[in-house]
Amino acid sequence: MTTGYPWPIETTRLTNGLRVVVSEDRSAPVVCVNLWYDVGSRHEPEGQTGFAHLFEHLMFEGSAHVEKTEHMRLVQGNGGSLNATTNPDRTNYFETMPSEHLELALWLEADRMGGLVPALTQETLDNQREVVKNERRQRYENVPYGDAWLRLLPLLYPQGHPYHHSTIGSMADLNAADLDTFKRFHQQYYAPNNAVLTVAGDAGPAEVFALAEKYFGALDPVSSIPPAPGGHLTGPAAAVRETVVGNVPAARLYLSHRTHQFGTAGYDAITVLATVLGNGRGSRLYQRLADGKRIAQPDYIGAYGVDLAHAPAPLIITATAKDGVDVETLEAGLAEVVDSLVTEPVTGEELSRAKALLTTAWWRQVSTVGGRADTLGRYTTQFGDPSTAAYRLPQWLAVTADDVTEAAALTLKPESRITLAYLPQEKTEEPA
Amino acid sequence: MTLIATRPGPGEARPYAFPAVQRIAVGGGTVVAAHLPGQLLATAILLLDAGAARETAGREGTATVLAKSLEEGTKTRDSAAYALALEGLGAELSPSVDWDTFRVGVSASVPLLAGAVRLAAEAARTPKLDPADVTRVRDDEVTALRMDWAQPGPRADAALRADLFGAAERYGRPLHGDPTSVAAVSAEDVLAFHESWMLRPGVLLVAGDLDTLDLRELGEAAFAGTSGEPSAAEGPLGVPVRDHRRTILVDRPGSVQSSLRIGHRAPERATPDYVAMTLAATVLGGAFTSRLNHLIREVKGYTYGIRGSFAMTRRFGRFEVAAGVQTAVTVPAIADTLGEIARTQLDGVTEGELEVARSWRAGQLSVDMQTPGSIAGALGTLVVHGLPDDYYATLRRDYLSATVEQVSAAAAAHLHPAGLTLVIEGDAGAIRDELVAADIGELIDADL
Repeated sequence: MTTGYPWPIETTRLTNGLRVVVSEDRSAPVVCVNLWYDVGSRHEPEGQTGFAHLFEHLMFEGSAHVEKTEHMRLVQGNGGSLNATTNPDRTNYFETMPSEHLELALWLEADRMGGLVPALTQETLDNQREVVKNERRQRYENVPYGDAWLRLLPLLYPQGHPYHHSTIGSMADLNAADLDTFKRFHQQYYAPNNAVLTVAGDAGPAEVFALAEKYFGALDPVSSIPPAPGGHLTGPAAAVRETVVGNVPAARLYLSHRTHQFGTAGYDAITVLATVLGNGRGSRLYQRLADGKRIAQPDYIGAYGVDLAHAPAPLIITATAKDGVDVETLEAGLAEVVDSLVTEPVTGEELSRAKALLTTAWWRQVSTVGGRADTLGRYTTQFGDPSTAAYRLPQWLAVTADDVTEAAALTLKPESRITLAYLPQEKTEEPA
Repeated sequence: MTLIATRPGPGEARPYAFPAVQRIAVGGGTVVAAHLPGQLLATAILLLDAGAARETAGREGTATVLAKSLEEGTKTRDSAAYALALEGLGAELSPSVDWDTFRVGVSASVPLLAGAVRLAAEAARTPKLDPADVTRVRDDEVTALRMDWAQPGPRADAALRADLFGAAERYGRPLHGDPTSVAAVSAEDVLAFHESWMLRPGVLLVAGDLDTLDLRELGEAAFAGTSGEPSAAEGPLGVPVRDHRRTILVDRPGSVQSSLRIGHRAPERATPDYVAMTLAATVLGGAFTSRLNHLIREVKGYTYGIRGSFAMTRRFGRFEVAAGVQTAVTVPAIADTLGEIARTQLDGVTEGELEVARSWRAGQLSVDMQTPGSIAGALGTLVVHGLPDDYYATLRRDYLSATVEQVSAAAAAHLHPAGLTLVIEGDAGAIRDELVAADIGELIDADL
C-alpha cells in the first residue's frame, strides 16, 4: 500500500502530558519546531470573538525570560523563519531554524508556554489590539468580497455553534478585550497537556526527547481544561440566501454546503469531489462555465473544502460573472454543474485527474520540514496518533466514482444550499 | 519558577551547501540542474529571454496574454485534451512573465516529470493561438485586471512606477500592462511576440533527484524544434533621482486603510553593493524587528505590517516601502516612515541590528530553499544574472562578513530620502487636507 509519510516518526509523552513527536530527516541542516495548541476560535464564548487570534499575537511579545521584541529577534537573528496561525479548531506556532539552533527554539516555546502571564502588559495588549484591527481592515474590510467567509459562517452554522463566528472576531469584541481575560485564557489553554510539540528535520528522537524534558518537563499540567461547546448538528443546514450589493467589480456567487468532518471517509470523498468539480482547467466548472458556456471568469472559479475537524466542514464553490453576464445566468449555470455530480457519474478520466492533482498537492505539503511538522501536529492533536497522517493520501486514492456520486447526492442538495451573492452597486449619476 | 532561565547557545553548525549543480548542452539549449536526492517531487522551468521588456509600446501585457493563451490548445490537441493530459500527470502549467524572462514551469512526481516537460514544451513552442481564442483570453485578461485594480495596491503601484520610470517608458508601465494597454493587444501582436521570442532554445532549469531524472531526455523535449541565438544583453538604465519629494494621491473613496508606496530608483542586480544594500534594507524594513516594522506596527499599532526593500532586475532597481495603514493615521505613519528612512541614510546601522540581518539572510539560504520549486527558482537567478554555480556559498559568506561600515555606506549611498516619491492610495476626502498641511512634498492627483 502507498504511504503518504515515508519518513520515520517517534513519539513520547512527558509526565505533564505534553506529547512529543519527532520525524528525523538529515538531508538538509534545517529543523522545524511546531506547537499545536488545542484551542481555537471555537472555544470563544459570546462577546469574546477574536480572542484566540489576538492572544496568538500576544505570544510574540515576550515572556518570563524573553524581553518584548526579543522572540522575533532571536529567531530571525539566528537565521530562522517563524509564524503562527489561528483557525476555528486550533492555534499553531512554528519556526524553521538552521539545526544548530534547535535548543533555542525549544527554550523560546517553553518560556511562552509556561511564562507568558508575568510578561503580559496593558501596553502590549493595546498595541496588538490595534495591529489585529488593522489586520481585519487589510484582509477582510478593505478588499472586494473580502468578508465572504465572515458572512458564510453564520449562514452555515446556527447561533451558539462553535463555528458560527469568525476567527478574526468583531471590532466591538476586540475593543472590549481586557487583560485579565487573556491571562485566564493562557492559564486555561496553554498547558503542556493541551499541546503537541513536533520536531521535523535535522534532529534525532533521543536528542529531542531529552531537550523536551529539560525545557518543558517541569511545567505543570492544567487539570480541568474547559472543552469547546459541542459541534453537534442535527441534520443539514436549511437553504438560505444572502445578497450583498456593494463596491465590487463584478457579480460573484459563493455556494456552500456543510459536509462531513475532516478525517472521515465522507470528507475524503468530498475532497476528491471538490477537485473533480473545481480544481484546475480540467475540472467540470472550468470546462463547462469558463470554457463551454463562457459565463464565468476563468481566474476566479473553484471549489474547495475547509478542513475543519470538530463539526461537518464546509465545501465552498465560487464563480464570478464575465462582463455582460447577469447573476441569474451564472447561478443557473453553477447549479447545473453542481447538480451534475449527482446525475452524471464521474468518469474514470475525471477521477484519475483529481487523484493525480491531490497526490502532487500532498507531496508538496510534506516537501518541507515545516509542512511535515504541521501535518504530524495536526494528526496527533485531532486523531491521537501522528502515524495516521500516512493514511490520508491512500484514502484519497481509494475513493471511487460511486463514493463521489453518493457524497454529492447526500451533501449537495439544493434544499441545504447556502447562497451568497455579491452584486456591483449600480453607478449613480455624477451630481451636476 | 519551573522554567529554565538561561538561554541556550547554538550547537555545532553543519556546513552550508547548495545542491550540486549540473549544466549540460543538448539540442541547441542548456539544461541547468540541481540534485535533490530522495525528493519525491521535481520541478522543471523553461526559461526564455522573452520578458515584459520585449513588449511593444502601447501593447503592454502582450506577454501575459500569451502566457494565458498557451493552454488554449496546441497544434496537436485542443484545450480540454491538453488539460486532461497534463493534469492527469498531477501537473499544472505555471507560465509567468517578469521583466527579464518568460517562464513555463511544471512540477510533478519524479517518474512523471519527463511527460510533463514534453507537454510544457508543446504548449510553449507550438500553441495553437487561434485568433478567436486569443481575443477571448485578451478580453478575460482585461476583466481580470479590472478585478485586480479594484483591490487596494495595484493602482498605487502603477502610479509609483510611472513616476519613477516615466509613463512613456516600458519600465514605467505595469509589468502586466493596464486595462487600456491590454485591451489594445491584438491576436496578431500575440502571434508576433511568440514568433519573435518563444522559439529560441533558452534554458531548462531542473530541480529534483538527478539519479533518476534523465537530463538529456528533458532537454531534448524542451528544445525540440527551436533555433536561433540568444539576443544581446542591453545595459543598465542608470539611477536618476529627483532633488525633491513628490506626493501622489490616488483616490479610493471609503477606503478604511491608506496604501503607502514610497520609493525611488536604485541600481540593477549586478551592482557590487548588492549584499550591503540588501542588509541595509533588512535593517530598515526587512526583518520583523526592522526599524519600520518596530516603530509603525509594534510601537504605534498603525499597520498590520510594513516592509522596505530593494528590488532589482537586469537593467534597473528600485527602493520601496509598502504598507497599509489605518486611514486616520495616514499622515503620522508617513512622517514616521520618512524619519526612519532619513535616519538610516544619515546614521547607518548598528552592530546589533546588522547581526540579526546577517544571520537571517544567511540562514534563509537553507531555510527557504527546501523544495524543488524554490531550488529551481534559485537556479533561475544564476542564469538570468550570469552568476557562477558556487554563487550561493559565496553569497552566504558575503552576508556573514559584511561590516557596519560597508552596510552604513550602502545606506548612505543608495537611500535618497529627499528624492522620494510618495504614493498614497486612500480616501482622498478624508486625508487630503491633512496631507497638504503636512507639507511632505508637492501634492498631485494621480491620473488613473
